[in-house]
Amino acid sequence: MTKSEVFYDGFWHNNAIFAQLLGMCPLLGVTTSAGNGFWMGAATVLVLLGSNLVVSLVRGVIPKNVRIPAYITIIAAFVTIVGMAMNAWMHEMYLVLGLFIPLIVVNCAILGRAEAFASKNSVSDSLVDALAVGSGFTFALVLLGGVRELFGQGEFFGVSVFGDSYPDMLMFILPPGAFIALGFILAGVNLINRKMKARASRQAAAPAQMEVVEVQS
Amino acid sequence: MKFDKEQLQMVLALFVVAVIAATLLGLTDIVTRGPIAAAEKEALRSALAQVLPKHANDAQGDMFVIGKEKRAVSVYPGKDKAGKINGFAWEVTAPDGYAGSIRILVGLYPDGNIHAIRVTAHKETPGLGDGIVNDSGWLAAFAGQNLESRNWKVKKDGGDFDQFTGATITPRAVVKAVKGALAFFATNRELMFAPVAEENPGEEKP
Repeated sequence: MTKSEVFYDGFWHNNAIFAQLLGMCPLLGVTTSAGNGFWMGAATVLVLLGSNLVVSLVRGVIPKNVRIPAYITIIAAFVTIVGMAMNAWMHEMYLVLGLFIPLIVVNCAILGRAEAFASKNSVSDSLVDALAVGSGFTFALVLLGGVRELFGQGEFFGVSVFGDSYPDMLMFILPPGAFIALGFILAGVNLINRKMKARASRQAAAPAQMEVVEVQS
Repeated sequence: MKFDKEQLQMVLALFVVAVIAATLLGLTDIVTRGPIAAAEKEALRSALAQVLPKHANDAQGDMFVIGKEKRAVSVYPGKDKAGKINGFAWEVTAPDGYAGSIRILVGLYPDGNIHAIRVTAHKETPGLGDGIVNDSGWLAAFAGQNLESRNWKVKKDGGDFDQFTGATITPRAVVKAVKGALAFFATNRELMFAPVAEENPGEEKP
């Protein structure tokens, strides 16, 4: 796979949220606003970069039977480091995300990348994969957080969109709103994927016809 | 007992991973310990600035403790430029919030009237119970009140403080905890002023 294929696969085609539905706990827990989603995603990207880097460095060195505890130790170390750094330099955001930072350890999307990708691929590919999966995860968090913040509080990244008279739709801030919004987003993603697939198969079936269409437009 | 080569490899691999992880964590702790303490101090300072009447001293530096061991309460006194005490603040915990404990910083004038209260930590429902943080009108209802001037219950229980739509438990817990703080001040009034009286104003603390 080329680097861009790795990126496309991690960011969209096998997106941790949209395609695999992994990491639901932080997704549903912290996405009451776009800002929360963004910083949770950023923390996850850092952990992924660290764990993918180290796991791909030690691939072949760790015996197969103990690879899972070894990966978990590596991931837990990076999560703790990111948590401490956030506590030190982004104290307020640390207080908001609180419990969900240590819970990145059990985000199966991260262990999944270590096991399925980093342990079998080169360091550079693993870093690209970490960036792709991490930013895809962040994208999903910000999208869901943005939708919930927009409908729940009439704001986006803390900036008022609908004005003060907007009646806050509390349901979107509460847990059921996370499930409902996620359902609609997944429907939208499936729609886009189906359109893309249909276009790809049209292109494959009748390339000549497509050229005509392009000339016309 | 005999180990075969494979087992030794496994033990060694995990050992090395654990040692490296522990080393990294130790280094991170050394680097972040100072900034974390500073960030926590700064968070407390800005919270104290909100609940204490305008003061000229370092309220955290002048902190004193009332009570012993588990019942110890750290009190942050505010003093004016002449070194005269003009307010107290300390943290109380409401254990009966809707989602766990609520920690509240209560700021009082020396006469026992409330200057302001601020919630410093809570896990209440966003949009419902978190009015105790966001609803400035509700928070303002505490200012200037004392133990006698109000019936320290939410309106639903026949008191003077509003509950929120859809959230009664949270404000009830906060009101109860603030009432407890006022009662604490009433019973410990002499202790509150005593440690300050011992000091000469302007003298550096060791």
